[in-house]
Amino acid sequence: MNSKINSGSVYVPSDEVVAREIEGELIIVPLTSGVGNMEDELYTLNETGKDIWSRLDGKRNLRSILDQLKTEYDMDSQTIEEDAKGLLEELLIRKMIVEKRSK
Amino acid sequence: MNPSNPTNPNIESLAFNDFPLWKNNGSRPLFAIDLEITARCNNNCRHCYINLPQNDQDALNAELSLEQIEKIAADALSLGTLWILITGGEPLIRKDFEDIYLFLKKKGFLVSVFTNATRISERHIRLFRDYPPRDLEVTVYGITEDVYENVTQVKGSFRQFQRGLNLLLDNKIKTNLKTTATQANKHQLIDITKFCREKGSAAFRFDPHLHLRFDGNEKRNTDIIAQRLTPEDIVELERKDPARMAALEKECTCHDSDSMEKNSHSIDRLFYCGVGFNDCSISHNGLFRLCPSLWHPDFLYDLKAGTLKDAWEAFTPRVLSNHAHRGLTNRRCMACPLKDVCMWCPAHAFLETGDLNGEVAYFCEVAHKRSEKKVEMKT
Repeated sequence: MNSKINSGSVYVPSDEVVAREIEGELIIVPLTSGVGNMEDELYTLNETGKDIWSRLDGKRNLRSILDQLKTEYDMDSQTIEEDAKGLLEELLIRKMIVEKRSK
Repeated sequence: MNPSNPTNPNIESLAFNDFPLWKNNGSRPLFAIDLEITARCNNNCRHCYINLPQNDQDALNAELSLEQIEKIAADALSLGTLWILITGGEPLIRKDFEDIYLFLKKKGFLVSVFTNATRISERHIRLFRDYPPRDLEVTVYGITEDVYENVTQVKGSFRQFQRGLNLLLDNKIKTNLKTTATQANKHQLIDITKFCREKGSAAFRFDPHLHLRFDGNEKRNTDIIAQRLTPEDIVELERKDPARMAALEKECTCHDSDSMEKNSHSIDRLFYCGVGFNDCSISHNGLFRLCPSLWHPDFLYDLKAGTLKDAWEAFTPRVLSNHAHRGLTNRRCMACPLKDVCMWCPAHAFLETGDLNGEVAYFCEVAHKRSEKKVEMKT
């Protein structure tokens, strides 16, 4: 997989989306043009996706998040890594997350 | 950018209408709000129920301030609101329209705007391009100056409308077109429909139902009644619109014993239409209502004195539990098998007659004409 996702990077939600929890669902609402696919308007994450999203706090890099996920989920390491990176790549392409630049 | 649907199983894109807020878990989120930010308008349409003059100082002074709207929005966020429709009057005449719009957008609401398009400027285009609305809805009163301005009663409004609409369409701002069918434009409705569809408005709709004034202005109500199409006109228009006919067919479950039975059970509730389930309306001066037409004073909650949270969580259930209000004298309408194709409801009855139970002959005639047409088309 030719991923743009780097384990050493810190990813954070983009300023161009608002994430809201409504009725137990995590809803990502694009704010500006060019984010997501405006035809669809909303995005939801499933429980796993929601868990990964909640860890994008700007303090941890992806490697650290993956290490935590591997200890908490009863799933083989490779699957966890592929799924998490796949989700972040999807979110990155849709400009819903950005890579945090170090100061 | 128009990426394909997500391929990762942990993320799903969905259209607003597919959002499963109505999952049956006993909760009652306030899903959508109609926010009338002004009752004033720069047009003076003959048929309109909410178009106080643009310079009406009392109406201006009564309008919710940006700060009050922010407070309402904060409650709306906590109540699960996803969609806010900014409407009026003409919302773009408010000097702080851009501030209101941006504030709501940045809080994560999907925002729609109803406008007559006459005030659309390059600045609005930049705003809508950078922060796209869910959609704009523009009413096309006519496609020639004489017809358009016969409806709006404002000289020069057609030119402004054309300019505004072209700006929106040229800049690909998501815009739906609609029209209101009145005596003043009925001879042009076919051309208006064609115009709207040619402009790419797949969601085009027309409305033949002219509501009476929110403020009860007698002179203006007389004008509105004079602008109403006859029941024959309405049915004829609907007959020419296959999508609308199909919808009416679905609604018109009349004349069968099952629906009669169902109706007889539902008449113990004053509001049988689903109001108060997941949406509400807020007037320019902060009055919370369960639907845009419900102006009976017993069912208004002043948001300037209270909170949206209280209005939704405490006041609304009280309104909905209003069983057989005042003896429910109008059992005839409530149990009528044509009620699903009739405009009659307690809210409209109050606007028309001053009585939640009042009967409205015009509504009755339209419903019966629709039913006759259905039978006629089946034979």
